[in-house]
Amino acid sequence: MEKLFVILVEDQPEVLRAIASDLREFEDDFIIEECQSAAEAWDVMKRAEERGGYVVLIVSDHVMPNQTGVEFLTRVHLDGRFRHTRKILLTGLATHQDTIRAINQAAIDQYIEKPWKRDDLVAKARRLITEYILENGFDYQSYQGVLDSAVLLQRMRNNP
Amino acid sequence: MRKPDSKSVRLVLALMIPILVLSLPLSIFPDAFTVVQQRVVALFLFAALFWILEPVPIYATSMLIIVLELLLISDSSLMWLRSEAINYGREISHREIMATLASPVIMLFLGGFFLAVAATKYRLDTSIAGVLLPRFGRNPKIVLLGLMSMTAFFSMFMSNTATTAMMLSILVPVLGAFAKEDKARVAYVIGIPVAANIGGMGTPIGTPPNAIALKFMVDLPIAFGKWMAFGIPLVLVLLLIAWFSITQLWTIQAKSVELSMPSSVSKSPKALIVYITFVLTILLWITDFLHGMNSYVVALLPVGIFLATGVLNKEDLKLISWDVLWLVSGGIALGLALEQSGLAVTIIDQIPFEDFPASVVLVCACLVGLLMANFMSNTATANLVLPLVAALGTSVSGLGEVGGSAHIILATSLSISLAMSLPISTPPNALAHATGVIQTRDLIKIGLLMGFIGLLLILMLNWILVSTQFLQHS
Repeated sequence: MEKLFVILVEDQPEVLRAIASDLREFEDDFIIEECQSAAEAWDVMKRAEERGGYVVLIVSDHVMPNQTGVEFLTRVHLDGRFRHTRKILLTGLATHQDTIRAINQAAIDQYIEKPWKRDDLVAKARRLITEYILENGFDYQSYQGVLDSAVLLQRMRNNP
Repeated sequence: MRKPDSKSVRLVLALMIPILVLSLPLSIFPDAFTVVQQRVVALFLFAALFWILEPVPIYATSMLIIVLELLLISDSSLMWLRSEAINYGREISHREIMATLASPVIMLFLGGFFLAVAATKYRLDTSIAGVLLPRFGRNPKIVLLGLMSMTAFFSMFMSNTATTAMMLSILVPVLGAFAKEDKARVAYVIGIPVAANIGGMGTPIGTPPNAIALKFMVDLPIAFGKWMAFGIPLVLVLLLIAWFSITQLWTIQAKSVELSMPSSVSKSPKALIVYITFVLTILLWITDFLHGMNSYVVALLPVGIFLATGVLNKEDLKLISWDVLWLVSGGIALGLALEQSGLAVTIIDQIPFEDFPASVVLVCACLVGLLMANFMSNTATANLVLPLVAALGTSVSGLGEVGGSAHIILATSLSISLAMSLPISTPPNALAHATGVIQTRDLIKIGLLMGFIGLLLILMLNWILVSTQFLQHS
């Protein structure tokens, strides 16, 4: 089994806990790291990567002191180590300009508005996680429980 | 088996037994045993345990077999492992071991993969599906039969997995049309993998066990067209039985169903090349008696044409399932070692097979193949069982009444394709199970039924093939 990480970044502790509890069903297969700042998240990701782990998914808030979510995700996007890492921006306070930068510079995969719905967040995370696992050639059968079957069928078609 | 500690337990177990066999003194083996043969025994146990317990992926085990053969028993092995002693035994040429990676059946499959990759890239598969789907009408039972026939047809030329994925991705979004309590949902989703598994029996490139069977049927090589001549009737009969059983087990309540698929048929020059090459290759495959090219040679034509015309480029080369090709190569390498070391003959000599009626040997081989393949990869099962059956046939004379080893190999390889009782039995089953529409117990029901009826049909087919000497006629 590979060591797979899901990184949550959110400066408000109670919101961070809420995201983590919504994503609890992924706990059996993933190491879910709760980080209160972009700097802390970066540190965790760097260490995970150095120990042979894979950062599968980042769920990040935008408005945070020091480094914003979009700045942080841009940095992740430009780093070859996290080339395949999927990125969700979870925010209620991004300006139009922020949103444009989130797409053009950070190449986020999903934008979710606060307040979010649990089912929606889980479904989106599931899809992105499935894409990551299949793209990286991990044995999908051992992650059967967390995979999105529509993505699975779509990807398996192209593997004749 | 998801905990890392269970993986290490399996790894230790799978390594311990072969190492134990390697370290035994040669004297405890039967008389004529050589050092090389002892190593082949260890290698075979290694292969069996690794393929069954899967401490590493199955294609990795195949490659390990080739590497270990080169290190332990080749004519270019580690010098400290070799000896001039009389009981050292016959070394195997490293060229022959390496050549298993490019043996003719591997080329046959490579050709099949090229056709499948091109068909997917230029949407030939979805185009055909889009054209055929509306023609099945609206009667839900007939539509199901149509879907299953289409699945079986595609899986004769594409991998069973890709076919299942394609059909399910068409199907799952429209299941909502059925009422929640209507068993039609189960019937439709279970019909696809069952049809895909069955369809694989239709052609030599339908599924990897067929290729392995061809490789070991040395005394009775059969052409592509000949395989289809008995394969397709078998597929048709099994398909009808499967369809009938499914509609009996899961009653469809809906009175009408409408399936359609938006498809645009590509008419670009490259797509035309794909259509023409596809038809041409299949025609050449079944008309070898007219032009003299065997199916292995024909298989490389699409490879040449698609690369030269840019239909497929270097990015598409990465889509070829090299893992499947190498998985098969490992099995061929294992068979090579068994045969060339003389181990096959030595072992068979120890067991009084003459005392068994030939039909018992046939039924046992088919049952073992079917049983094993329900729990592990079909290809790995074929890799393990078929070389043993081949060895059995060449050294046991009493098998004539069931047609000799070639017929047993054929029947066994077909039986392996009948394994579909569990989600883990085949990747198509796993994909269907992953949709969440069907339960394990649904697969067990239809899988046991198809396994039992299919086995009887295969035995009957074998009897017909033997009594008409069908395989012997050229």
